[in-house]
Amino acid sequence: MNSATFEKGMVFFLSILTVLVSSLLLIILAAVFARGLPALHSGFLIEASEDFGRAGGIFYQLVGTLILMTGAVLVSLPVALGSVIYQTQYLKSETGKEICRQVAQMLNATPTILFGLVGYLFFGVYLEAGVSWVTGSLILAVMILPTLQVSIREAIEALPDQYQDTGMALGLSPWSQIKTIIIPQCYYGIITGVFLGLARAAGETAAIMFAATTFSGIRFPESFSDPVPTLQTHMLVLTQEAANPETLAQAWGAGLVLLSLVLFLTVMAWILRSRLKMEAEL
Amino acid sequence: MLRVLLFLWVAIGVNPFPASADHSPKIEIVGSTTVLPIASRAAERFEKFQRVEKFKPSHRLRILVNAGGSGVGIHSVAKGRSDLGMASRKISPSERKRFEGSHLKVHTVGVDAVACVISSEIYDAGIRDLTRQEIRDIYLGKIRNWKEVGGPDRKIVVVDKERHRGTRHVFMDFIFGNPIAKTPGTILVTGSNNEEQTKIAQSDSAIGMLSYAWVSDEVRAIGIRDKKNIVNPTREAIRKGDYPIVRNLSFITAGEPSGEVKAFLEYLKSPEGQQVVEESGYIPFT
Amino acid sequence: MMWIFAGLNLIFLCCAGGLFFFLIFESYPILKLQGIDFWLGQDWWVGETYGALPMLYGSTLVTALACLLVLPLALAVAIFTSEFLTSTSRRFVKAVLELLAGVPGIVYGLLGVSFLSLWIKDVFGLLDGNTLATASCLLAIMILPTVLTLSEDAMRAVPAEYRDNALGLGLSKWQTATAVVLPQALPGIMGAILLGIGRAMGETIAVMLVVGSLDRIPNPWFNIFSSAQTIPSKLGREAAESIGEGTHWSALMALGLTLFIMVLLINFIGNRFLKRRSIS
Repeated sequence: MNSATFEKGMVFFLSILTVLVSSLLLIILAAVFARGLPALHSGFLIEASEDFGRAGGIFYQLVGTLILMTGAVLVSLPVALGSVIYQTQYLKSETGKEICRQVAQMLNATPTILFGLVGYLFFGVYLEAGVSWVTGSLILAVMILPTLQVSIREAIEALPDQYQDTGMALGLSPWSQIKTIIIPQCYYGIITGVFLGLARAAGETAAIMFAATTFSGIRFPESFSDPVPTLQTHMLVLTQEAANPETLAQAWGAGLVLLSLVLFLTVMAWILRSRLKMEAEL
Repeated sequence: MLRVLLFLWVAIGVNPFPASADHSPKIEIVGSTTVLPIASRAAERFEKFQRVEKFKPSHRLRILVNAGGSGVGIHSVAKGRSDLGMASRKISPSERKRFEGSHLKVHTVGVDAVACVISSEIYDAGIRDLTRQEIRDIYLGKIRNWKEVGGPDRKIVVVDKERHRGTRHVFMDFIFGNPIAKTPGTILVTGSNNEEQTKIAQSDSAIGMLSYAWVSDEVRAIGIRDKKNIVNPTREAIRKGDYPIVRNLSFITAGEPSGEVKAFLEYLKSPEGQQVVEESGYIPFT
Repeated sequence: MMWIFAGLNLIFLCCAGGLFFFLIFESYPILKLQGIDFWLGQDWWVGETYGALPMLYGSTLVTALACLLVLPLALAVAIFTSEFLTSTSRRFVKAVLELLAGVPGIVYGLLGVSFLSLWIKDVFGLLDGNTLATASCLLAIMILPTVLTLSEDAMRAVPAEYRDNALGLGLSKWQTATAVVLPQALPGIMGAILLGIGRAMGETIAVMLVVGSLDRIPNPWFNIFSSAQTIPSKLGREAAESIGEGTHWSALMALGLTLFIMVLLINFIGNRFLKRRSIS
């Protein structure tokens, strides 16, 4: 076998591997679908769960997950936006910028269970928010801060320099520039970040399992101090009963809903990113 | 847009964590997965009752039930994180000492037995009982193969539980005379009763400890043999006191219960509540 | 207005700082009590002694194994995607990877419990499928997208001149890819692996459900088919027991602190490597 054949063979081999890896997503989706679909009877999404989760639907769990996600983004967005604006528009020192970058990387790399434990300690015990959806949202907010920051920063840095030069030439203060040029032009970065942040918060279990959730007893939270049921923790409990086929089917059904939610949000982020980016560049 | 976001944020931030006055009352119950079915069923029944009697939503009692294990239940109620702790074992001396200030009170609602369980394949192969010594040696790692006790030639998958779990305390107390015994023979550690049941069912040569109400076709209970006597964990044996590994199923409060918690406990001790205990597979506490 | 933004930035910085501070503060009691024995001790008996070695060992082994599984695959696919695919196909692969990276940990946990652990048990004829190996496989799948994407980026970042020069000298595409581009991208790929390791070390839910949760160093030490325990898994299983205060809690926080520092160090080095890739 001469080297040309060898190389062709290698490239072919690599292409197979690539196809395999790409189909990994498909395989996972297929598995979740195949197992989850049977559990998706018509009322699954709108019924409450029954019999320790062995029957019924996952309506309140879905609501709980949505509440935590939305709360997280609402709290995180101002901080992410503000901090990125400060770092790109006002902060001049390179060391300062480097520190901020390192901190963001540190936050991003932190194991999420630590967010859950320390977050509960701080928000739940110290600030007395208890085990509640508020504590959960705050913890998730801290967790997705880097995710939001990255998208916003990308958008701001993609802004051509002329914009800022023009702004300065016109004598605009930094705040006016931000208000009239940067935010309107970088809108898409904010929206993209929001959707990616939502997707990330939706899938997170370890950060909230001690601080925000209950398996049963709560439908809609009625106050700031109520915990909520979530898809993730519901699945966690059901997974531990994997020998019981009904429970397992319910877990798969919930998994299908959760996975679909996360994928949907990610794809939305992409669509919005490309569409709004195009509009911004017009 | 910025203004809207800022307003929303301030609105959430400025109104941080008030103990809301206008929501319906709730009690939080945490702990043993053995006691959990009782609490859950009672909670469901109570909710139905409130709906049928058309209680106003703001007056309906919500009962939150969560697992975690006896240790978590005791700790939780002692620290005020929950209103009721569920325990399937006695409060240990070290726990009593740690939580002296909480004045823990035990309210027993039922009786349960802990069965030594094995995978159905081993049961079908003929193992129907073991002596205390044999079980001890298995958990110590001295007996490693089922054939050493008259079973098929298969390595034993020794399944243990997390150390704070009620079921483990009671089981180890019987087998070793020490509720927190060390078991070098362990191959796998599980948490809740559900998880233990699952892992034993998934294996075909496992041994473990499980509340007898959780025994199933895949997870069979064996008798305890003492010389010629074999005691199987049946309702009769438990009621008569013949079966050696029994425990009380209790709810624990910090101090004297009052209000909704008291009402719930009284419900559980009432004939109706005791019926719930029976339906969950346990023995009423009378 | 600047002060508002500066304030928000400060909040952001404080979040990270606060996390670190809390971990250190909460770990202090147990570390004062046991000192270095905390990390060297092999026995973790609540109420008596807290030895983190089995957890440290489990975390390290599981991660190392996951890395071993991921590395060849990531390299292979990165080379192919970066050097042999058109830009449209490349974007498609990247999109797939981004979606894969977003799959929630609990879904992987469910897949692990229902498929992987039973499958590994059958294939290797084990007593039980909840082992280090199972956790490693699961982690490998979980970190593959991240490592792959970053490796591919590293390869793409190698300037076009290198490729042009090589092709101009008569090297084939394959030779260009492996002998010219790959070595240049190596720092970036190192960075990718390290970042993947960082993520694998921190994963809680999926590992907790399949690793066996046995606080013991396997016997022999390289027996990947035995149950074991990792730091996040231990935290996940035991934190509820003593949350808030006490020696047990302090020990758990110390475990968390150890994990935190390990992950940060790995990530820091990894990011350094990633940055180096753009400099020849």
